[in-house]
Amino acid sequence: MDEAGTGTVLWMTDVVKSFGGNRALCGVSLGINRGEIHALIGGNGSGKSTLLKILAGVLPADSGSLKVQDRAWNLRDFTPEAARESGLRFVHQQPTVFPSLSILDNLCINGQYSIGLMGNIRWGSTRRRVLDTMERFGIDASPNQLVGQLSPAMRTMVEIARALQGQEPGSQSVLALDEPTAALPSREVEMLLGMLQRFASQDSQAILFVTHRLEEIVQVADRVTVLRDGMDVATLNREGLSKAVLAEAIVGRPLEAFFPEPVAQHPASRPVLELDCVNGGGVRDLSIAVEAGEVLGIAGHMGSGRSTVLKLIYGATTVESGRVCLDGRELALHDPEDAIQAGIGYVPEDRLGHAVLPTMSIADNLAMVSPRDYWKGGRHQRKQEFADAAAAIKTYGIKADSPSVPMNSLSGGNQQKVVMARWLRRGPRVLLLDEPTQAVDVGARADLWRLIQDAAAHGTAVVIASSDLEELAHLCERVIVLKEGTLGIELNGASGLSEDDISHALHDLEAA
Amino acid sequence: MSSGTAKSRWPYLLEASGLPILLVLMCFFFSVLPETSASFASIDNIRITLGAQSALIVIAMAALIPLICQEYDFSVGATAGLGAVFAASAMAAGAPIIVAIAIAIVLGLVVGLVNGFLVTTAGVNSVVTTLGTATLIAGVVALKTESKSIVSGIPASLTDFISGELFGIPRGFYIAIIVTVGVWYLLRQTPWGRYLSAIGDNRQAARLLGANVKRRLLSVYLISGALAGAAGILLIGDTGTASPQIGPGYTLPAIAAAFLSVAAVQPGRFNVWGTLIAILFLGVLNSGLYLAGTNPYVNDFANGGALIIGVGLASLLGRNRSQQA
Repeated sequence: MDEAGTGTVLWMTDVVKSFGGNRALCGVSLGINRGEIHALIGGNGSGKSTLLKILAGVLPADSGSLKVQDRAWNLRDFTPEAARESGLRFVHQQPTVFPSLSILDNLCINGQYSIGLMGNIRWGSTRRRVLDTMERFGIDASPNQLVGQLSPAMRTMVEIARALQGQEPGSQSVLALDEPTAALPSREVEMLLGMLQRFASQDSQAILFVTHRLEEIVQVADRVTVLRDGMDVATLNREGLSKAVLAEAIVGRPLEAFFPEPVAQHPASRPVLELDCVNGGGVRDLSIAVEAGEVLGIAGHMGSGRSTVLKLIYGATTVESGRVCLDGRELALHDPEDAIQAGIGYVPEDRLGHAVLPTMSIADNLAMVSPRDYWKGGRHQRKQEFADAAAAIKTYGIKADSPSVPMNSLSGGNQQKVVMARWLRRGPRVLLLDEPTQAVDVGARADLWRLIQDAAAHGTAVVIASSDLEELAHLCERVIVLKEGTLGIELNGASGLSEDDISHALHDLEAA
Repeated sequence: MSSGTAKSRWPYLLEASGLPILLVLMCFFFSVLPETSASFASIDNIRITLGAQSALIVIAMAALIPLICQEYDFSVGATAGLGAVFAASAMAAGAPIIVAIAIAIVLGLVVGLVNGFLVTTAGVNSVVTTLGTATLIAGVVALKTESKSIVSGIPASLTDFISGELFGIPRGFYIAIIVTVGVWYLLRQTPWGRYLSAIGDNRQAARLLGANVKRRLLSVYLISGALAGAAGILLIGDTGTASPQIGPGYTLPAIAAAFLSVAAVQPGRFNVWGTLIAILFLGVLNSGLYLAGTNPYVNDFANGGALIIGVGLASLLGRNRSQQA
């Protein structure tokens, strides 16, 4: 890897970065070709985000060089302005579009309005230019439409269009996308990936694509660079790419030893959780029963009521009619507090928005489910709380120095383990999980799956709503598919379900 | 991250003890400064300075509790004034002291109930709500007093008790310290207080953790109102009068002190002891400046500057904390 290839538009060499005594990157090299979708993958803490931040010029490297647009840079003093001048464009994980402004305003907000003599905006020519841009980027909407009303994939496209609009097609620019699909439902992901592919092939756009979703990489990546422990352990070509190969490269050990086998089905027992003709929040007449030790999957497209079912059981959405019973007794669910007291746990889909207490410690995050447990003799038993938290950190494989570390210093996968441990250490009767492994790396994903299976093995009734069919196929013996808030199909697989089974059911239901 | 724990201890300790150290240095400075050395460290000045802070301490506690949940209460000063005026006029009409205290607290609870209802049930922003109630209270006070101070009829036993000394320090200050300990206990030792921290950190997550946000915020405004109302009694006790104008002026110093607390004792978090130290800091600064013969407007600079610095530090330290990731 000494000479940049002819088609190479960007070349990072021997990038080193340390934080305190920790080496985050130990000499990473990465080359991106014109017209290629280059995926960057690696577990949490492998150095992906650090590398991206260095490339964006927001974090100085300790050493390393960058060659872009025939110009060499020392990455020690690369700045965001230099990155911009060099034709590097970034789309970050968190959306930076303005939902309450129109597409036109979003595309022009950085000073792209055409201005008349009086300092006025010339709407006619601005609009024509925006229409051109929208056509080029495949945004099929009116320029006046508010971005907040667009689908998530279209919103991301507006963001991409805004980043690239000044560039000529076929220029030497590089578009870097940091987990653009993490928050998108599967259909939207398809759409976005399709557009990226068209972009790479028609406009010869170089794209650097960071993601946790291996299937996306198999689908669209031309080349893949794998980071592990701050080193670029492999650069893989499109040929022979498979999820198994990728997962193995990320964790650095064979896959068979890695994904736990589904546990054997428990002998049938009485249902722990029963829903009887439940209505509320768009869910209609839903009746289901879940037994102790069972893992029930809920599949369905966005808006099918997948998440709402969990919220109804947890008391976070009002049950309008029908009964939710635990161990045969009807629950009065007015508030999540009632559900928690009944022994129901809930892991929401939006980890940062709805689950994490960011500046509070791990110990606090674990204990806040029931702070009264540590209130004895009129005092807060901090020592006991810390000892228990330290034990939980060990039991659930959370990577953290101490229970007093604030939650926002953990990686996503470890945060999710804390959120899960919050409930697991109480031995819940029912555990409700909404997209439990969204946006975590394969290593953490396998750990989380194992935790779920352990919980079931200890008699917890688990309900998982997920758009990740592999996850449902792996964990569940029974999957219900929802459509428009009603139960569409129930899949029962005594010998296990496959992704295809669930996928077909989703399609059949859509067609029906 | 892992190797940072031993190293990051020192900046943390420095942040935690910076304001207390400044307070000590400033006391030393005014004690040796030629202009103030005679008067500053005198028993009289210590008595006056601490006595004047006691109501402010209680009002700042009333502002601190909502702040923990990211709620702003700009009505605390006005509520204290309301309590003072109604309690004083009740005593002037012959009511026993205990009834007057009850009146001040009940009026504070009523203000808290209105604030809490508007914020939790009607969903009005807390800044707007409490600025509105503060203005309404000012109107009620003006109506009640016809904009005249209540100077007669306040029993001497009350003012003697509160401004009287115990070991050279006014009793009102001890009362304020007892209230401070009580608020510390509520915030740091009870499940209620921990829920407030969770609500301040991530309201949605707190709701899903069973924090019952609406009910708890209502309780926050009730307690805040009761404390502010009760502070009215300390206002009467310190000055022996109840002026219709006195209350609202306490709001900003109280909120400034609560904000400054993020820079002391528990860096990055609003906390009780930091608030107390910030009040003493501002009190000593103002007293020293006064004794040094500076113009009164310099005190405005000190208070205004403290508010801006406190809010600035709050967001700066908060940002540092979230950047540790």
